[in-house]
Amino acid sequence: MTPCAVTTGFFTLGKCGQMAVAGCPACGRALCADHVADGGLCPECAAARNQFSHPASVSAHRRRRYRHSSSQAYQDTVWYTTFDSYDRAAFDPHAGASQDYLDDGDDALVDS
Amino acid sequence: MFWRKQKAAIAGFPPLHQALIHDRSLAATLPAAQWLALTASLGRHGESVTRAKWALPARVPDVLVPLILEIGSDLGPKGLLSIVADFRGLKAPGKSHPPRQLPVRPPIRSIAETWSIDPWLRLRAELRDGSTLEIIVVDRERQRRITKRNLRNKTKTKNKFKHVQTIKVRRKLPPAVRGEQPASPPPRWIAVTIRDGQRRGITAATKLDRMPQNGAEQLDRILTVATEPFRWTLRGTR
Repeated sequence: MTPCAVTTGFFTLGKCGQMAVAGCPACGRALCADHVADGGLCPECAAARNQFSHPASVSAHRRRRYRHSSSQAYQDTVWYTTFDSYDRAAFDPHAGASQDYLDDGDDALVDS
Repeated sequence: MFWRKQKAAIAGFPPLHQALIHDRSLAATLPAAQWLALTASLGRHGESVTRAKWALPARVPDVLVPLILEIGSDLGPKGLLSIVADFRGLKAPGKSHPPRQLPVRPPIRSIAETWSIDPWLRLRAELRDGSTLEIIVVDRERQRRITKRNLRNKTKTKNKFKHVQTIKVRRKLPPAVRGEQPASPPPRWIAVTIRDGQRRGITAATKLDRMPQNGAEQLDRILTVATEPFRWTLRGTR
């Protein structure tokens, strides 16, 4: 069984872990039925494209904004390193705003 | 009969949704799934109810619903979220102290000072990492009613208001977890208090002289204060 790789939780992060039924066409993450957002994207990729019809996409957008503002308020370089690369992608200033639909490279989590 | 369809729609809402409409307050302890059902109902409010008298308080969609969604995602499978929310405002009965007279000198004839205290949000959540999160947000208003007489013997009255908001967040760590002091201090406007015991309690508190101007700013302030207790336990050590 492939578990769903979507990050859940706001303060206590964890993985969803339910049985995956699809993969995100943008980032390739395994997704369970609850986390398939618009166009089959994962919530984070849908939020990066400003597609908010799925509640999880709205939450992903809100978390991205919160982490961006709280990282500026706290200047804590240690706490945020404990996030994995998927969580840290929320700090990428271009991940949500830029809509260039270009190849962002192999290491980019959210390919816009 | 007026507003028949909207009355019927309200009658079909969950009781907590109806309480927010009619009483502008809410108090409940529920698991995450039931809170999610309530937020879904609140999200559909505008589709069927358009009368201004029955509109939801502005803080419900802007602050309460996002908080329920985000903190609800941190609850464990058996975790409960308790919320006591009161959106009646500072002028509601029972929230104001009796006015007291301050000493004055001419030309001022009297100053009556009235304090109003509005704890409009209290929240307690049992998180999936075994810790407990408590949030309390209190608005305070100081009103000074100043009466003075000018040289032409006219008596004039002026009201001055000062608003302050306090946000206090406490996280009780699980019994076996002690936590570590974060590498960087919190922002200067957040004070941190540690209370040791069977379960270590980390309290982050702030007093905002400038009230948040909108729902997004209010939510951001609450979440920023709530971040501090979670910096004491790095991810993977909880």
